[in-house]
Amino acid sequence: MFQPLIPGVSPVLAAAAAGGAAPDSLINLVPLILAIPLAGFVFTAFFGRRIGRPAFVLPLLGVSVTWLLSMVVVYHALTGGFGEHGAGITLWRWIAAGAFNVDVGFFVDQLTACLLIVVTTIGLLVHLYSVGYMAHDPGRWRFFAYLNLFMFSMLLLVLADNFLTVFAAWELVGLSSYLLIGFWYGRRSAALAAKKAFIVNRVGDVGFALGIMLIWVSTGTLNMREAFDRIAGLDHGTILAIALLVFCGAVGKSAQFPLHVWLPDAMEGPTPVSALIHAATMVNAGVYLVARTNPIFSHVPEAMVVVAAIGIFTAILAASIAFTQTDIKRVLAYSTLSQLGYMFAALGVGAYVAAIFHLMAHGFFKGLLFLGSGSVIHAVHDEQDMNRMGALWRKIPITHWTMLVGAIAIAGIPPFAGFFSKDEILGEAFKLNFGWVWAIGVVVAGMTAFYMWRLMGKTFYGESHVDPAVEPKIHESTWTMTLPLVLLAIPSMLLGLALGLPFGDSMITRWLHPVFAGAEETLGRTAEPFALFGIDGALILASVAVASIGLVAGIWLFGFFRRNGRRQTVEMITASSGATRFLYRASLNKWWFDDLNHLLFIVIGGRVANALWWFDRTVVDGTVNAVGRITVDAGGGLRRIQTGHVQNYALGIAIGLIIMAGSYLVIASR
Amino acid sequence: MSQSLDAYLVVSGILFAIGSFGFLARRNAISMLMSIELMLNAVNLTIVAFGAFIPALNGTASVIALMVMAVAAAEATVGLAIVMAIYRNRRTPLVDEYDAMRQ
Repeated sequence: MFQPLIPGVSPVLAAAAAGGAAPDSLINLVPLILAIPLAGFVFTAFFGRRIGRPAFVLPLLGVSVTWLLSMVVVYHALTGGFGEHGAGITLWRWIAAGAFNVDVGFFVDQLTACLLIVVTTIGLLVHLYSVGYMAHDPGRWRFFAYLNLFMFSMLLLVLADNFLTVFAAWELVGLSSYLLIGFWYGRRSAALAAKKAFIVNRVGDVGFALGIMLIWVSTGTLNMREAFDRIAGLDHGTILAIALLVFCGAVGKSAQFPLHVWLPDAMEGPTPVSALIHAATMVNAGVYLVARTNPIFSHVPEAMVVVAAIGIFTAILAASIAFTQTDIKRVLAYSTLSQLGYMFAALGVGAYVAAIFHLMAHGFFKGLLFLGSGSVIHAVHDEQDMNRMGALWRKIPITHWTMLVGAIAIAGIPPFAGFFSKDEILGEAFKLNFGWVWAIGVVVAGMTAFYMWRLMGKTFYGESHVDPAVEPKIHESTWTMTLPLVLLAIPSMLLGLALGLPFGDSMITRWLHPVFAGAEETLGRTAEPFALFGIDGALILASVAVASIGLVAGIWLFGFFRRNGRRQTVEMITASSGATRFLYRASLNKWWFDDLNHLLFIVIGGRVANALWWFDRTVVDGTVNAVGRITVDAGGGLRRIQTGHVQNYALGIAIGLIIMAGSYLVIASR
Repeated sequence: MSQSLDAYLVVSGILFAIGSFGFLARRNAISMLMSIELMLNAVNLTIVAFGAFIPALNGTASVIALMVMAVAAAEATVGLAIVMAIYRNRRTPLVDEYDAMRQ
């Protein structure tokens, strides 16, 4: 097993090593957690094609072992085994360049543990689900290889202890996302979507890289904990710049406005990919980053306001678009955008624990919803348009009941998970004087409930609009697909109760308190007791009421179980006035952001690029070519001196002699 | 014998001029060789004239003239041999027709 090779790792580890052996040995599991998916990827990439059908066995086994090891580490971390501030392990010195030293090392604390729970559990369930979902795909060995690569990258991101490793893992998850979105590379739309995802991510990564460079320049270290220690001594402007640049990276990776355009297109990938990467893990990387760098953000409240503003704006923007989308996966994609907006809003107001709580809950119920939608799509033979579904609740019962659980959870109805996490975000926003965040957030909660019940109504309830040729063949999916659904439904129901109670001093608050204590101190927050019959109770009531209104409206318009949806009423409402027609069109066209990007970057950017190309061809290349041409022409001219006749050469000598002698005589006589 | 050095120098200068004109203007290779001989003889005359008129030299300039003559003979031999070899190949003694290496 690895032993820490570099002395002076962390005081906790050293003290633990002096006191007892337990933290020492368990932290050594961390490199193993990372090595297994990596080995799975390498093996499947090299031998997968030859193995053929059973190619999924090794990756699935690997991820299961990783899950087990992670759960051991998580349990140890959350019960304080690594000390209150976490423990680290350094493997070797990666870059040694004078003053610039970067070690490969990993760090586990309670925040890491929470992320590990989400990443490994959903990763494992998605691997299992993919066995059934990709059963008929000839490229499934590639799929599992990429999935393992993604697991490795995401785990590396979460476990890294310095910014450079995080950045490397950041790019790796982007790469895995590209590979998986474009998995069916023969489809042009998939290839374009993969390219779009990667490029938009890169735009954010520029900011992130600049932020890392600024951290290095101002604090002299890239190790996260050392950097956080030295942050307090910097001047305000620098810290603000660092925070905003790091947030740029989060905006790109977590698809916040204005870099949100890649996520809906990313639905071109297979549904397990959407569930794993674009709902439960990769898009959470941005949230994790901001939460991890909370010491930086807590020194610059202006940056936190920016975070909150962008977050809540994305939330309402995405929710408004989800109202009119007809592709079931697109609705869920916009829902993900909206919930991520919630998480950033929570981070922005300083409710870090609430953000992480929502991250975990959302990972589970959004993963459930996506996998469920995959099951639905599978059942109706790859039809993704909700207008051609309906009355499926009898035919695919397990999928239906689990998705119902997911829908209730995301709508924020107690006692399911979404209620606890969402309510905590909104409550904190209100109590910390971010009234505008609270107001918009409540509206978004209502909108969420509405469009989720629209989805359920159109997909499962009322009368069937399924293509008659497909209808008799509708069947429930195999156990490899329905078991993950059931397993995800359980935390969607119970996670909130487990982690969110008792109010005000919940389990998750106790877990994460040491991670965020420093930030809360910098921001000057004091803990207030929970007032069930005071402000807190009123806030809970308000959010439940709004969610219920959305739910009722959704059910009334789109059907419930045997009752049909009122399509004419819906059309009447959308066509009722100029404003609603405009809003409907705007929502359907995603508020024309894709068109704006197309105009700015493809059309105008294309013209600029053409102009620059003209300049490069004509001026720059022209200059270089002209130099060459002049040389060649001069050479051609001078060549004519060489006549080949000895007498001409002799004449030249004679003339030269005369000139020399003559000039000597002339000069000498002066 | 003339008592002024200038006369001898003028004569050898004229000889040299005639020789170099012949070298530059004649097409026949043999004529060019003859002109070279003429130039060499002009130089010899100059050397010997200087040797006769400058007391400090004690008449030892003739040695240089002797060496020049030896070199001239050797060079004429070699030159003639080359011209004859080229003539056998090219069938013409005219130097401006030797243009095989020209572009």
